[in-house]
Amino acid sequence: MAFFLETLIGGLMAGMLYALVALGFVLIFKASGVFNFAQGAMVLFAALAMARFSEWFNAALGGDSLLLANILAFIASGGVMFVVAWVIERLALRNLVNQEGATLLMATLGITYVLEGVGQTIFGSEIYAIDVGMPKEPVMMFENLFEGGILINKEDFIAALIAAALVAGLSLFFQKTSTGRALRAVADDHQAALSIGIPLNRIWVIVWCVAGIVALVAGIIWGSKLGVQFSLATVALRALPVVILGGLTSVPGAIIGGLIIGVGEKLSEVYLGPYVGGGIEIWFAYMLALVFLLFRPQGLFGEKIIDRV
Amino acid sequence: MSKQIGDVILDLQNISLRFGGVKALTDISFNVREHEVRAIIGPNGAGKSSMLNVINGVYHPQDGKIFFRGEERKAMQPHMAAAQGIARTFQNIALFKGMSVLDNIMTGRNLQMKSNLLMQALWWGPARNEELKHRARVEEIIDFLEIQHIRKTPVGRLPYGLQKRVDLGRALAMEPKILLLDEPMAGMNVEEKQDMCRFILDVNDQFGTTIVLIEHDMGVVMDISDRVVVLDYGKKIGDGIPDEVRSSPEVIKAYLGAGH
Amino acid sequence: MIYRENGQFKTSYGADQQIFPIAQDRWAVLAIIAFAFIGVPLLADEYMFRAILIPFLILSLAALGVNLLVGYCGQITLGAGAFMAIGAYAAYNFLIRIDGMPLLGALILGGLTSAAMGILFGIPSLRVRGLYLAVATLAAQFFWDWAFLRIKWFTNDSSSGSVSVSNLDFFGWTIDAPAEKYLFCLGMLVVFGLLAKNMTRASIGRQWMAIRDMDVAAEVIGIRPMWAKLSAFAVSSFFVGVAGAMWGFVHLGSWEPAAFSVDRSFQLLFMVIIGGLGSIVGSFFGAAFIVILPIFLNQMLPALGGLFGVSISTAAVSHAELIIFGVLIVFFLIVEPHGLARLWATSKEKLRLWPFPH
Repeated sequence: MAFFLETLIGGLMAGMLYALVALGFVLIFKASGVFNFAQGAMVLFAALAMARFSEWFNAALGGDSLLLANILAFIASGGVMFVVAWVIERLALRNLVNQEGATLLMATLGITYVLEGVGQTIFGSEIYAIDVGMPKEPVMMFENLFEGGILINKEDFIAALIAAALVAGLSLFFQKTSTGRALRAVADDHQAALSIGIPLNRIWVIVWCVAGIVALVAGIIWGSKLGVQFSLATVALRALPVVILGGLTSVPGAIIGGLIIGVGEKLSEVYLGPYVGGGIEIWFAYMLALVFLLFRPQGLFGEKIIDRV
Repeated sequence: MSKQIGDVILDLQNISLRFGGVKALTDISFNVREHEVRAIIGPNGAGKSSMLNVINGVYHPQDGKIFFRGEERKAMQPHMAAAQGIARTFQNIALFKGMSVLDNIMTGRNLQMKSNLLMQALWWGPARNEELKHRARVEEIIDFLEIQHIRKTPVGRLPYGLQKRVDLGRALAMEPKILLLDEPMAGMNVEEKQDMCRFILDVNDQFGTTIVLIEHDMGVVMDISDRVVVLDYGKKIGDGIPDEVRSSPEVIKAYLGAGH
Repeated sequence: MIYRENGQFKTSYGADQQIFPIAQDRWAVLAIIAFAFIGVPLLADEYMFRAILIPFLILSLAALGVNLLVGYCGQITLGAGAFMAIGAYAAYNFLIRIDGMPLLGALILGGLTSAAMGILFGIPSLRVRGLYLAVATLAAQFFWDWAFLRIKWFTNDSSSGSVSVSNLDFFGWTIDAPAEKYLFCLGMLVVFGLLAKNMTRASIGRQWMAIRDMDVAAEVIGIRPMWAKLSAFAVSSFFVGVAGAMWGFVHLGSWEPAAFSVDRSFQLLFMVIIGGLGSIVGSFFGAAFIVILPIFLNQMLPALGGLFGVSISTAAVSHAELIIFGVLIVFFLIVEPHGLARLWATSKEKLRLWPFPH
């Protein structure tokens, strides 16, 4: 029982991280109808920037204050992501307005390549560490409930808290601010939004910026856990089934989808993996999403699309 | 011009259609006779297009029965309706934009083409002959609609009026028993309307095709149709020959409002 | 002045429906094919065959298959690499497990296996489209990546996980030297190219395009969406599967699942985007472009750097390659969504009217 719970909680933690990446997908899809394949590359880009800036600032400050260096690096990386968002909107998206979803998807594949290339050219292509002072040692919990207790990774726990806070913050931003309202208007109908004077291009830059910040947070958490390296970019591929499961337009869907996939992956790997040779977590999520697609194409919380003739 | 109006070919009984809580059609019954031109009219949102979609199997009514040539229709997909000989054109032109006029109309022959995939891949004997045979038939339709000069042009490049004509051609290529026309003259100028009226009457006359037509232009409707159904808010409020319908107080009320 | 069709009158629909209705086109294509069969083997050296020509031919075949599905039928796929892998491993198993299996038989059976899997993984296309479908095809990609790595039966229990094929024998002709491999691939490509062209100008091709352009209208005029979509998946996967088997057998000789990773899928998709969606010749343009560009950059960038006294590392070249690929894809989608094939068609159109454009 304790082992099962440990696996379950491990899955939930991993799922929270998937949810973070999926959140980036959902934000951009909601506001511009673009399925942003480049979200993974953005995570890599942001994490690379964070790792290197932190290293450089730390060196410049003489290694005295890691905290200050990290704060400066976070600001600088945020700035970099803003520039990335602006450039993407300016050079690519603005010229692709009103194209079909598939075309936009392929365009973001192109953007993925550019981001990967540029990121590694500027920041290097080694493995880097991000040290934001996350506690590494696991803790025992619920020792009075189970024999031997449950081993929980403190780092995962904090990461999950941060992710939850981010989601809550974004929900507030969407619901309560005027920018958030404009975002939702744009998501509903580009042209109608345009006609009442909402600046479409600026809104898109903002959305991509927010997605960039989400990518930065995801990048920092993943990076400090596993190191910053090229494989971070493939995180987008891992998070893809999450959005399919949760529904492309739903923020809570991204979270719950992330949790389901995280738990499903861990449980299947632990309980099913040994029988079929292991390594199944990579496709298990996809198969789950695929089965789901056949029965509920719009996802758990997505909006149903009705064709009109 | 005397034409032979035949037996009932399509009979709709007590059709009701709902989308969630929205009632699109409520308890509508009417029939269509062979060789006639049957018009469906009504204000915007009356459920006219929904009615056509029910007839050719795009929508599935919750209640009611449909009899086609005396047989009750069960669950129906659009391609099955097509196989039975029901063709239609679209209100917002739904042509295949990336294909030429010729290819668009050729798709209408699809149901009659029987050669298998392998034969087609080899462009061999029967497949080639079949292709040429249907091409000849399609050329007749192209002649009929007077669009010879644009047969190789991608339809996306054509002006609206011509696209409407190609849309009609594609439906005609199916050699349908019943032809459903969803606002064939919307957005046309007077001359284009005259052309289109002529084509519709010719189709009805020469091929004996039964025509069900939605149209807003009352002049056109009263001129070319044999019988008219009037819908309002998903209910039938009138049915009969044009003169009857025109003088029906309910119809006048629906079109002009209660005060008149 | 030279390229025009004046005076070439068609007296039958048969003459009007040939693949190249303009006489100059017919001669030009025949000349190119003749040159490819006779001239190229005399001129090219081994490096040309191995690094450029053979990969180009096989990837052209695969791109052709992807184009039938994506360009003609409008169903997006991000799993083409998996179907190459299925073709390769299926052909391998047919070859080693059945005594006396001829090479062509193994390739065709590999293709058919891939087609069957294509139908299976194409089923979601009946319910979903666009990027949802992309996800379904990615599922195929990751599942088969895993299966060929972990299920030892597929690789004949080879300890290293890599499999190899040698002694290619095509009805008594031993395909061994690079020039022979080239000729074999060229022959296959010509045959399959012709098949693809025939399908796209026949009823099945029109059904695919109708589904692509307006699926509701297609259904209303009597096209069965299930048949149209699944046949496109089957034919496309067949082409891609045969190409995969050839990639393994002829080009690589021995291979691991990584040869058919998701990167390969993306590469094939880019070929058809850059080459031209819905164009047979575009598939060839795209394949040529994607095969040649990295080689070109590898040669050019260090040389260019040398001019300015900067030494450019291989890592930098590979990053530059990524950037240039990405930029080109976005560029093509914005400026010319129909790819190189459209540029080609436009210039032919201009040439037809030259020198009197009005």
